[in-house]
Amino acid sequence: MTDPGAPGLTVTGLTVRYRTLTALHGISLGVRPGEVLALAGPNGSGKTSFVRAVVGLAPVAEGRVEFGGRALASLSLEERARTIAWMPQEEPVGDNVPLREYVLYGRYPHSPRFAPVREQDRVIADRLLTELGFSDRAHVGIQELSGGERQRVRLGRVLAQETPVLLLDEPTAHLDMGHQLDLLERVRRLAHVEGRAVVAALHDLNLAARYADRVVVLQRGRIVADGLPSTVLSPALLRDVWGVTADLRTDPRTGLPYLIPRLIPADLRPSASPPFRRVHVVGGGGSATPILRALTAEGHRVTLGVVALFDSDAETAAELDVPVVAEIPFAPLGEEARAKNRDLLNEAEVIVVAPFPIGPGNLPVLEDVLDVAGRVPTYLVESPTPSARDFTGGLGASRLAALRPLSRVIANERELLRALAAPTPSTGADAHDADRGRVRPLERLEESR
Amino acid sequence: MPRGRAGGAAPAGGSRRRWLGALLLLGGVALVLVSPLIGPVPIPVESSLGILAHGPGPVSSPGACPGIHVSANQCRIWAEIVWQARIPAMLLALAAGAILGLSGATLQGVFRNSLADPYLLGLSTGAAMGAAILFVFDVDVAQAAFALPAFAFLGGLIPGLVIFIVGRVARRSAETLVLTGVALGAVFASLLATFLLYNPIADLQVSFWLLGGMSDATWTHDALLFGVLLAVGGVLSLLGRELNLLQLGEDVAQSVGVPVQRVTLTLVLLTTVATAAAVAFTGVIGFVGLVSPHIVRRVVGPDYRLVVPLAGLVGAGFLLLAWDIAQTALPPIVLPVGIPTSFVGAPFFLYLLLRRRAVPGASV
Repeated sequence: MTDPGAPGLTVTGLTVRYRTLTALHGISLGVRPGEVLALAGPNGSGKTSFVRAVVGLAPVAEGRVEFGGRALASLSLEERARTIAWMPQEEPVGDNVPLREYVLYGRYPHSPRFAPVREQDRVIADRLLTELGFSDRAHVGIQELSGGERQRVRLGRVLAQETPVLLLDEPTAHLDMGHQLDLLERVRRLAHVEGRAVVAALHDLNLAARYADRVVVLQRGRIVADGLPSTVLSPALLRDVWGVTADLRTDPRTGLPYLIPRLIPADLRPSASPPFRRVHVVGGGGSATPILRALTAEGHRVTLGVVALFDSDAETAAELDVPVVAEIPFAPLGEEARAKNRDLLNEAEVIVVAPFPIGPGNLPVLEDVLDVAGRVPTYLVESPTPSARDFTGGLGASRLAALRPLSRVIANERELLRALAAPTPSTGADAHDADRGRVRPLERLEESR
Repeated sequence: MPRGRAGGAAPAGGSRRRWLGALLLLGGVALVLVSPLIGPVPIPVESSLGILAHGPGPVSSPGACPGIHVSANQCRIWAEIVWQARIPAMLLALAAGAILGLSGATLQGVFRNSLADPYLLGLSTGAAMGAAILFVFDVDVAQAAFALPAFAFLGGLIPGLVIFIVGRVARRSAETLVLTGVALGAVFASLLATFLLYNPIADLQVSFWLLGGMSDATWTHDALLFGVLLAVGGVLSLLGRELNLLQLGEDVAQSVGVPVQRVTLTLVLLTTVATAAAVAFTGVIGFVGLVSPHIVRRVVGPDYRLVVPLAGLVGAGFLLLAWDIAQTALPPIVLPVGIPTSFVGAPFFLYLLLRRRAVPGASV
């Protein structure tokens, strides 16, 4: 059990089938003694099926599970229970059994049947309780523990089986941060110090990266990645397997990868009811950032109009994959950028004017908005500090005043989302062509009556 | 049981627990001492004691009946009553009560359901119907002395198997099991009524089965039932560890090495056999199997290695107490013993049901 060269758990071509559903398609993998293998994958990817098949609880249609060269299927139940211990995701709320008795349950495959509890088993149970921090509570009922403590005692029951292989199904589910780390820290010790082969199904990839020597990713019953956490975990994998956009960073203290998920794909979002629109946002100086985030989160196709390179709005746009028309900082607006921005203004279904500071460089942008505002629904986001906005000696303020009657004035991005979600967006003052086109037939109908 | 006791009801505290245990034990001993003195035929206590001291042998002189002037003949009749009716009835109550208690504790463990009980699950009624078939087809009852348990067993086997299947398929929901038992009981009761239409004479004999009693007890019955009790009770008491592990769920139990299928089948089969045998000699007696394990858990906690055998002891005492009450409550009538057990058991059952609802998070 402590020999790192010994063959550990070997799974070959494992296929698990429930009636018509095939949960695992020919999975092959090996776990060496002393290794912590994290099993990752979205819900329904087959993690639990894999664990249950190895324990002998799921129907194995094809394939073999071996330990130390012996097929588990050929072992008796008790021999199997001395080889593999399993901690399920959930256990029924049982009786209020004293902790020592509960841990002693794990001695079942080692002790003779129909015999009273042996002293040696009691010693093992007490040692485990001490290691897990319950030495003074051996006679306390398990129901009196907190969820985190109970999980630790369940680990004790599993360890009492003294098996070379441990299978833990979501051991940290429902645990708070402290108990998660405590439990996984113990699990890692069990592998690295005691030389057990550990397979843990984990949902939290950051915990997997931190505590596992190896990560195996399942998707729809197949292995799609297998290797070191630092090589396996990547934004591409998260996008392909979980459908999540994420940033991959490196923990400067441990050098381990960690992921910051930030976007879920449109089809998983709570509501896809309002049709997504092409929205062009005119911003700068960070004024457009909350608007960009809100619009992209709702799934709108967003573009950003002329901002300076390295402007914080430009950086937000890059992070959100929003196309940007950018200009060199502190330079006058070039013809090329202005033309590009005009194109986007013309193509947009909705224009949003963020409360950006108006300077000589972007005054022309505002003039271009004025040109199209009558045709395209335009939302003017009010500045929290209107007086500090204009750096053009009144020119900017006059353009804004001209824009007001052509647009709908709103307070913030939340109001914008509500307005866009409404069945017929209106620009407030002047309805534009696109909208009229939609409304007119109804109006005619009304008039003809 | 998790559901019934909602993860709680830790056994009473140490000293209270010992007191309760001592009280139960004393009560049991007192019951056994008092029971031979009780019966529908009034016999002076001193005479009863004298007859007991005389032993079961034939009485030749009135000297065996001290404390009162009676003829040798009267004394002989009294001795006959004590040794051939009262004591066999007492022993029958003890054996049947023990079987029902053991079976109730076992079924509660197998189904992880504190409402399981041979009567509620329809096992007893099924067994009674099986036994009634004999009467209906006019089989000589004397001849059927050994056919009776066999028919009762076959009758009890049907609900036993149905419950077993429902318990596994329907994920052992307390309501489902109990309602299945109630439905089966109703089916058997109506079958029973139908049979009786064909043989109205059997009515009286059969009505005895429906509420139970020890009046027909004989030493042979006692010997048979104690044989069953020792055999089944021995095996059931040995499987306490497996029952404990089953409380963690069948999957966990199997992963630790328990042959779950074999164990649960064995347990359900043995309780069915034992219940059927008890019903064959005593008729249907409800609630002993439900109440006894709960009393035991209060005293010793949830460990099935203790709960199963002790539920047998408590069940024996409970049924004997009920029998004594049945004989003395409305003299000179002997009530069917199922009446006092139901008087205690049914409200207790309701209490368990209502408490389950009241506890948040007490999943079914």
